[in-house]
Amino acid sequence: MSNDIAFLAEFIDGAPTRGALELAAGAVALAGQSGGDAVALAYGPGAAAGAAGLGAHGAARAVVLSDAKAPAIAAAAALVGALRGDAPLALLAAATPNGRDLAAAAVGAMNLPAFGPVRSVRVVEGRVQSEQATLQGSVVTTSEPTDAAATPAVVLVLPNTFTPAEGGSGTASVSQPQPADIGRLVEPTIVESHETEAAAANLEEATVIVAGGRGVQSEAGFEPLRELAAVMGGAVGASRAAADAGWIPYQLQIGQTGKVVKPALYIGAGISGAIQHRVGMQTAEHVVAINRDPDAPIGEFADLFVVGDLFAIIPKLTEEIRRRKGA
Amino acid sequence: MKFVVCIKQVPATTAEKRYTSDLRLDRAAAESVINPLDEYAIEQALRLADAGSVDEVVYLSMGPDAASEALRRALAMGGDSAVLITDPALEGADEWATARVLAAALDRLAPDVALMGMASDDARGSLVPGAVAAMRGLPLLSYGAELSLADGAARIRRLTATGYDIVTAPLPLVASVTDQVGEPRYASLKGIMAAKRKPLETWSLADLGLQGEQLQGAALTRVVEARPPEAKPPTQRIENVSAEDAAAQVADWLAARKLI
Ligand SMILES: Cc1cc2nc3c(=O)[nH]c(=O)nc-3n(C[C@H](O)[C@H](O)[C@H](O)COP(=O)(O)OP(=O)(O)OC[C@H]3O[C@@H](n4cnc5c(N)ncnc54)[C@H](O)[C@@H]3O)c2cc1C
Ligand SMILES: Nc1ncnc2c1ncn2[C@@H]1O[C@H](COP(=O)(O)O)[C@@H](O)[C@H]1O
Repeated sequence: MSNDIAFLAEFIDGAPTRGALELAAGAVALAGQSGGDAVALAYGPGAAAGAAGLGAHGAARAVVLSDAKAPAIAAAAALVGALRGDAPLALLAAATPNGRDLAAAAVGAMNLPAFGPVRSVRVVEGRVQSEQATLQGSVVTTSEPTDAAATPAVVLVLPNTFTPAEGGSGTASVSQPQPADIGRLVEPTIVESHETEAAAANLEEATVIVAGGRGVQSEAGFEPLRELAAVMGGAVGASRAAADAGWIPYQLQIGQTGKVVKPALYIGAGISGAIQHRVGMQTAEHVVAINRDPDAPIGEFADLFVVGDLFAIIPKLTEEIRRRKGA
Repeated sequence: MKFVVCIKQVPATTAEKRYTSDLRLDRAAAESVINPLDEYAIEQALRLADAGSVDEVVYLSMGPDAASEALRRALAMGGDSAVLITDPALEGADEWATARVLAAALDRLAPDVALMGMASDDARGSLVPGAVAAMRGLPLLSYGAELSLADGAARIRRLTATGYDIVTAPLPLVASVTDQVGEPRYASLKGIMAAKRKPLETWSLADLGLQGEQLQGAALTRVVEARPPEAKPPTQRIENVSAEDAAAQVADWLAARKLI
């Protein structure tokens, strides 16, 4: 066992995802507490060429698990190979479908303790301690591995938990692992890829989100929300009701079965605030709700609740912000 | 073609959660339901059975005795039989231990597809399907918006950032599906009556040949502290004003927090 902190770094089209850079920042912080190095485990298209560059984000070493467009799980044999031997203290994985698949593979193949998605994580006297909100956020627990548990501790991390470091330099030393024999787990292949959406802004990366629900009424009803998002440099999101209605792609759905987001500001318009939606946005730093029903549940947990018609208020708000920015 | 659908009994999503003095969930106090996301796995299996491509649907759950209710409810929706794994040694089981037990049971049931939901409602990590696949050395098809079968393989549609992929793997395998497979059916009165006569077996850890020490006290994790969430500051309200005034007040509020 070492004191290193490993993190899964996903690459898409030759570049690390913002999530990978967030985890790098988290791994650097934890490695400072444990007295080890941050080690990147890079996978996805472009990982081989881009791995060394993760040094600029604090990785001392980078291991390339895969380089091709393939299901994330196909990198599991390389992941287990990389983790065996001098196992790191913790493995940070993004709480996204791909991150979870690889985290789960490590848990199952190596019998590892799993945590999260965490609100925060730290190393205290060599122990990895994770804080998580469970049961729809009704209780907050701190957990750690048992004494008998093997390392690494596998920790799922939500987007925007760590802030990527800017302007670093340096290169990570790059290596390739010996894949472990873990049976047929890695057999899935992609047989078709379909592009249906114009590359929408990645919701998980947005610091401002303007989300619309059933109250938006139509595809065209999202236009004022897009304009508001645009003046604030933000992205548009939605409730499942709006996605189910076909007004907006599922990729922009927020909630239990959509994205879990953690922006600085979330503005919900025409969204009632059902528990399944709430679990996807309740960790936003600031929540503003616009709803014409004074008793809508979202009014119980928003920081600012505006009772009124979204179609009347949103264009005025956009105008007002534009005016103040111009001044 | 045999499917085993793994379902978990959980406290109802909207149930008022109550805690015992040591801040453990008082499960007896909360109304219990089939994990809502597992209903989509049930629905997917039953649709394939309705279409004639699946011959046998078995439900598998690990939980307390009372979890047999969830299995009966699933049987009322359709399917053939159910297995409950229950054992006092499993209290407090974490994701790893849950996966270990389900993997052992699935080895015995030997389905072509072990089908799961995309996550447990009580905020677990969506790790059980992948961990079970890794333990059994079988392919994982996860987060399927739809699952279909053809030529000794299964395929799923899986959303990507800008569209979707079709991912396939040869049987047998482990799969999970999302809430996009279609709305779960309701149990009919006839279904509820029929469910009472469908076989429901109970297995202990000994039946599975899993010794206590192999399960490490049912967990590789321990809770060192539990506390209620921080109280949120009260909501500020803007109401009974014109749209212009509301917009100006919202802008002031945002500016005061340096959000614009
Ligand atoms: C297993 C499961 C998973 C789910 N996962 C998710 C998920 O991931 N994300 C999610 O969002 N939901 C999810 N849901 C659905 C969730 O339960 C709610 O049904 C959904 O969030 C409701 O969407 P909504 O708030 O847009 O619609 P509604 O609940 O219908 O609310 C619409 C709101 O708009 C307001 N309104 C209408 N017109 C106006 C107007 N002109 N101006 C201002 N306000 C107006 C109304 O007052 C109302 O409050 C899930 C459900 C299940 C069972
Ligand atoms: N105790 C359990 N019994 C049966 N299936 C389970 C159990 N726990 C988890 N699962 C399955 O694993 C899926 C993912 O759960 P989780 O990893 O806990 O989020 C669920 O949707 C279920 O299909």
